[in-house]
Amino acid sequence: MKVLGNSGKIVVLILILGLVTLMGYAIFGNRDIVKISPLIGKQAPGFTLKTFDGQELKLSDLEGKTVLLNFWASWCMPCRQEAGALESSWQKYKDKDVVFVGVNVWDDNSNAQKYLSKFGGGYTHGLDPNEEIQVDYGVGGVPETFFIDSSGNVRDKFTGPLTEQIIDYFVLKTKQPQENES
Amino acid sequence: MNNYLIKSSHILYIFFVFIMLFGFQSLSVADEGKNIDDQTKELSYLLMCPVCQGQSVGESNSNLAHDMRDIIRKQLEAGRSKEEVLAYFVSSYGESILASPPPKGINWLLWLLPGVGIILGGIGITLYLFKAQKEDKNEGSQKINTQAKMDNEYMKRIEEELKDSDS
Repeated sequence: MKVLGNSGKIVVLILILGLVTLMGYAIFGNRDIVKISPLIGKQAPGFTLKTFDGQELKLSDLEGKTVLLNFWASWCMPCRQEAGALESSWQKYKDKDVVFVGVNVWDDNSNAQKYLSKFGGGYTHGLDPNEEIQVDYGVGGVPETFFIDSSGNVRDKFTGPLTEQIIDYFVLKTKQPQENES
Repeated sequence: MNNYLIKSSHILYIFFVFIMLFGFQSLSVADEGKNIDDQTKELSYLLMCPVCQGQSVGESNSNLAHDMRDIIRKQLEAGRSKEEVLAYFVSSYGESILASPPPKGINWLLWLLPGVGIILGGIGITLYLFKAQKEDKNEGSQKINTQAKMDNEYMKRIEEELKDSDS
């Protein structure tokens, strides 16, 4: 029994291929992926951190400064890998209106304290007692770093361990409009 | 006796009202508690876990999914609507956080194409079945005709042979 002729078969094949292509485009084409943060270019979500030395740190207190907001956990190996670069970059930028803030997430407090004594460096670290800051910033894993400019807008997000060169690139890029404005 | 009956009916009435009030009250309390739970669960299945492979927030046991479920609950308790809660997660993670893409722009294709595929497939199968049935009928009638012809010839031969044997 012959249901379709040769031309009919070709038309059906083209139809199927067309449908599959359109579906593929709709699923994968021109779509935002998780790694591109929708926060970029927008006002950074406000936060109040409880620092490990018992103080409170609000984002609003850092207005006018460039902020490097780094999310880390003590069990995270890439966080250890980037710790040296963060410390040396902080030494370089601490007197240039750049503030480094470490945010500890998904961690045990005593492990976090041990980690800090070994890898913490000299800048401020804290955690959000409500455990909401990581979701506010759309964090999907650690380490992730956000660069916030002096007017409080998120300029960039970097996923993975930082190096000094990467920090230089993003910090200078984030500081640029500030310098242009002045 | 009458008094006794009136009294007992009053007691029964009061008892019935009491049971009804108590029942409704406990039911409404249970409903209120259930609503937040149900809504949290429902929303957690509408969001994908960003650190998991193909799992929703409701299915995942990751720390992040746990935080997200807590935030959903807190926001619902604070009086936010489901749409507002979803919009909050989209503002942090982008539209890819949604388990089903919102029907707008290119996303319409994802909603329409499966339906189009099913309709076209249905038409194809229907056409195939009709054609197959038609061909079966044709083949069947041809077979019957051939059989009838053969039967006629056979009967003629028998009659002829019977005549020959008689004569």
